[in-house]
Amino acid sequence: MASKSKGAPNKTKSGGFFGSIGKFFSNFVKRFVDGSIGTKLSHFIFGAGNFYHKQYAKGALFLIMQVAILAFMILCPTINGTPYGYKALLNLPLKNVSEGGEFDPATGDFSAGSDCKLMILFGFVTIAVIVIYFIIWNKNIESSYKADMDRKVGKKPTTLREDVETLFDQKFHITMLTPTCIAALVLTVLPTVFMIALAFTTYNSQDMNDLGTNLFHWNGVKNFASVFTGEGTLGVEIKNRFLPVLGWTFIWAIFATLTCYFGGIILALLINKKGLKGKKIFRTIFILTIAVPQFISLLAVRNLLGEYGPVNTVLQSIGLIKEPIGFLGLHAQDSELLAKVMVILVNMWVGIPYTMLMTTGILMNIPADLYEAARVDGASTTKMFFKITLPYVIFITTPYLISSFVGNMNSFNAIFLLTGGGPAYQGYAAGGTDLLVTWLYKVTIDQGWYNTGAVIGIFTFLITATITLVTYRRSKAYNEEDTFQ
Amino acid sequence: MKRLIVFLLAIAMIAVPLVGCGGGNEGGNDAGAKDDGLIRVWVGEESAEFYQKTCDEYVAAHPEFGYKIEVKGMDTGSIAGTITNDPTAAADIYTVAHDNIGKLASTQCAKPITDETLIAQVLADNPESFRKVIYSNLNGTTYLYGVPYISQALFLYYNKSMVTEEQAKSFEGLREAAAAAGTKAITVTGDDGFNMSFALLAQRVSDHGTSVKIYEGADPASGGSKGESNCQGDDTVAIYRWLQAFAADPNGFKWASSDGWDADLDKSNLGVLAVIGGAWHYNTAKAALGETNLGIALIPTFTLTAESVEGLSGVSAGEVYRGGSFADCKCFMINAYSAASKYAKEQELIMYLSSKDVQNASYLECMNVPAYVGAADFIKQCYDQGKVTESQYNLAAMQVSMAEWGIPQPFVTGTLNTYYYSKNAPAVLRAIVDKTSFPTSGDIIIPETTSLEGIRKALYLVEYLWMHGVAPKDFPASLPDKA
Repeated sequence: MASKSKGAPNKTKSGGFFGSIGKFFSNFVKRFVDGSIGTKLSHFIFGAGNFYHKQYAKGALFLIMQVAILAFMILCPTINGTPYGYKALLNLPLKNVSEGGEFDPATGDFSAGSDCKLMILFGFVTIAVIVIYFIIWNKNIESSYKADMDRKVGKKPTTLREDVETLFDQKFHITMLTPTCIAALVLTVLPTVFMIALAFTTYNSQDMNDLGTNLFHWNGVKNFASVFTGEGTLGVEIKNRFLPVLGWTFIWAIFATLTCYFGGIILALLINKKGLKGKKIFRTIFILTIAVPQFISLLAVRNLLGEYGPVNTVLQSIGLIKEPIGFLGLHAQDSELLAKVMVILVNMWVGIPYTMLMTTGILMNIPADLYEAARVDGASTTKMFFKITLPYVIFITTPYLISSFVGNMNSFNAIFLLTGGGPAYQGYAAGGTDLLVTWLYKVTIDQGWYNTGAVIGIFTFLITATITLVTYRRSKAYNEEDTFQ
Repeated sequence: MKRLIVFLLAIAMIAVPLVGCGGGNEGGNDAGAKDDGLIRVWVGEESAEFYQKTCDEYVAAHPEFGYKIEVKGMDTGSIAGTITNDPTAAADIYTVAHDNIGKLASTQCAKPITDETLIAQVLADNPESFRKVIYSNLNGTTYLYGVPYISQALFLYYNKSMVTEEQAKSFEGLREAAAAAGTKAITVTGDDGFNMSFALLAQRVSDHGTSVKIYEGADPASGGSKGESNCQGDDTVAIYRWLQAFAADPNGFKWASSDGWDADLDKSNLGVLAVIGGAWHYNTAKAALGETNLGIALIPTFTLTAESVEGLSGVSAGEVYRGGSFADCKCFMINAYSAASKYAKEQELIMYLSSKDVQNASYLECMNVPAYVGAADFIKQCYDQGKVTESQYNLAAMQVSMAEWGIPQPFVTGTLNTYYYSKNAPAVLRAIVDKTSFPTSGDIIIPETTSLEGIRKALYLVEYLWMHGVAPKDFPASLPDKA
């Protein structure tokens, strides 16, 4: 019974989705068949239906949009010699590319080669414009058909002014969401699609320099396959370093999260202990580490632990060591294990106060009657901690714990500023303490292996997204919201 | 009304980043797209102020020039990479070390130089060694691409308060001074390909002899023969064995620390007594040691020991070698994406900036050692007239002298020479000095660099990278063998 009742909404949901698609197309046919001559014309000329219904301003607006988009598609404006419009679509397969290089010594005229980056980018922009064209197309038909229906029932079709007023009244949510969606499309979706596309190309400056070309092309899933096969220029790097880097990224994320989490809880408990004097002073001291920008703290620690830093100097001067210790793995011969331990320890220093601050607030809000009841039942302090305090704090902070884990997987600052990913592995970009994200930085910014960087970025996204979704959906904070007992 | 205001605010919030993203890059975006009456120039960070002033004076003295000039300081070590990544965002005129010419020309980031007067000036002023490495090939035609204006080579900075002039002449002398001070003798400013040349290019003092060859016999402009390379000669193996022993010595060689070579050299840290570097390190070295303690000398000599030549023929114990250097030049080049309408004026400007007068002024103000033939006379004259300090004079004089102990970093058309850097050849050389294995460089692994065979394999790999740009699939059955 239970499974049946669980399955039923899914079926409805699924039917709803396909149903809405079916409805969209049946509406489409219906509008063309049942619509007025104006609506029929709207399928070819934007705004025709509005003109037919004497909605001139609205009709003109639709027509201008159609003309503008068609002009964009046909005239193909260019930037840096790379066209938009239909030419951008033709360029998208990166087949019709030119090395350029024709030079006229008399005038200094130099023809540059094709810009494959822009070709891909402009191709995607053009596809987005086409999608927008069809959305406007549908809206223009919808608008005309609505006027038809209004006429049929004896209502006067709405004017542009009335539509605008509606957009600032009943449909204000649409008005506010539209620019946000446009911004998300331009600033998030388009760059993400572009980045994903690069993972399927030969775009890396090393190969391009080696071949003496500025051009690159599509190469299918070869870059992904190289993670497993080790083939290609960068295959050896990916094959030999991907798994170690991934493994260390997990180890780092687990340790960095748990040490800061439980360290923060312990610190908060100590500070909130009844009878402790100067609580505010202690809190202020720990909060000061938050007030100092993290990169300054990290660079200060890097100097402290440097070859001529105070730590090495003191250890040498008291005769404990003869040679300076490479705490942070800044040289290839330094200990990788020591560098890993050090970054975790230093990260505790900058991370614990955050958890402490948050936990302090939570501890103050645990209902006092829970403890009172426990005391009456004869529970010990330890028992109260494990049965009341800890479950309460964990329940409240689970989403934080998950976001903190994912944040630590992408913790660029701590690694990059402390160890720079070192100790270096000779012959590889990825060092001993590199996380996926710092490795990604090195392969793109330092090495110019953009396609490899895109592959690493996609893997990082898949891993972090999967962990986030799975753990959060299985957590009590998600499943038993508002039910802490 | 309130809703309209909220909507407009939302639009404004979204428009700001969109407009921001759509803006051009500072300092020379869209160089090729338009002629905006501005010529942008990229030079080394240390010289930007000088060249801006020089350009302003030129524009003021030549109203018919018709362009404003904007000079920006850049890290010349990474400038070539910046340009190849996005030449449209690069300046109209930029400066790079000459060994990047092949790469920049083949990736169509550079425009040939065709002005007859400028070409005549380049040919008249520069030494043969530089004239051989400033051409490249475009669609089968050889063109001049780079105009030399600074020469650069490695030499030695040392701590005069701890090392005598005599001790600074040899690695052994430096070790003696280091032993007395309880520290290390010498380091290098970095373990990159340029700095690593001090051992690879070492030459016999008696006759400047070395078996090392890089593209010998090749014509860099032709795009034809790669010539001949050799890095596995017995003398090279012996030199690296000697360096291994010197690096293992508690008072010998060390790599620069994580705090930087200047922290090592600093008189208060006394981490090292001498450092091999270039003229562009002068101010940093002076800050570390102070003007009075800063000594400047040729890269020292060293004497091969019996252990270093054991099992090798053609080289004997007691032979004295001097550390070598790539003796390079920095060149002005024109961006291929720069508007054609600027082309004539760009060449006119380069002719002025690379003239002897401007090179001399650049030496006096920025310690850029001139590239032209006879610069040594001017440098001496400046010292005699008290225009430069002793260390400033020594710096230029030693660099000019080091040119005799080095070769301009060779290249053949295209990017073959850049593999030396991009395929980890310097890391292989470092692995030899550190006596460590080299995990991978393509398909092969060098399991150790302690034995004669291990060192020879590593040097074979370096030679192979120069010649083929990729690591070999396997090593020949016996070495030495032609890569």
